[in-house]
Amino acid sequence: MTAIAQAEKRRYPPGDLAIWIFILAELSVFAIFFAAYAFTRMGHAELFDTYQQTLDRRAALINTLALITSSYFVVRAVAAIREGSQTGCVRWLLAALAMGLLFLAVKSAEYAHHLGQGINLSTNTFYMFYLSLTFFHFMHVILGMVILAAVVLKARSGGYCAAEHTGVETGASYWHMVDLVWLILFPLVYVMR
Amino acid sequence: MTTKPYAIRPCTRVYLVLMALTFVTFAVGQLGLKGLSVSLLVLGFALVKGQLVADFFMGLRGIRGPWRWVIIIWLILPGGLITLAFSLTA
Repeated sequence: MTAIAQAEKRRYPPGDLAIWIFILAELSVFAIFFAAYAFTRMGHAELFDTYQQTLDRRAALINTLALITSSYFVVRAVAAIREGSQTGCVRWLLAALAMGLLFLAVKSAEYAHHLGQGINLSTNTFYMFYLSLTFFHFMHVILGMVILAAVVLKARSGGYCAAEHTGVETGASYWHMVDLVWLILFPLVYVMR
Repeated sequence: MTTKPYAIRPCTRVYLVLMALTFVTFAVGQLGLKGLSVSLLVLGFALVKGQLVADFFMGLRGIRGPWRWVIIIWLILPGGLITLAFSLTA
């Protein structure tokens, strides 16, 4: 790689530039969602604070730890492939996927609990935001897992190496975005009042 | 093309910081602490965590140019709006 090519590369984030455009679009939607939650709360502070207490904060803690850990595992997967270890990359990605599955299981249990109590989008304004915001994020976790699974399949068949692993970095960037959004969502919806 | 290997040790330290800040945030909720200053403190933790993820996990720390600022701006915008909304509510 020439010095010019290296300098050019450091002007762009890791992975395919297209995924970063997609990440920007996704982050913009979540930013609007977060602002809408906060400004709607202004007129219903008591209601929001009351119903926030009905949420399972322990489940949210487990989910936050699961996503942070999965992100760290993805970092390790990228590090492994950069060093030429396809086996290491696959193993770290599978560990990250396991953390993603844990997130989905815990969140599904939360939803089942709420639905069992007859809570839905029209119960009140707080639950409308809570359910729609977290479910929107839930769908992104699923999409992120599909992307990581596709990267695993390609890595297992020798599709990546130390010299060419853009796909791994692309999947990793999307997964970190999913983690990043949850890092704001967790305190905003479960803690701040 | 050969890219530089990840420096894992800083990422591991960041991971531990992220876990620690998460436990602190959880503790604030469990203790029932509330009010503007507590909310902004917790939000501040979240923004710091977000910046750490962007810099170390997403690898934006070594990037020059506009892409370096993408996540920073994203954190500042909703962070600022949330701060404004909670301040006006208090």
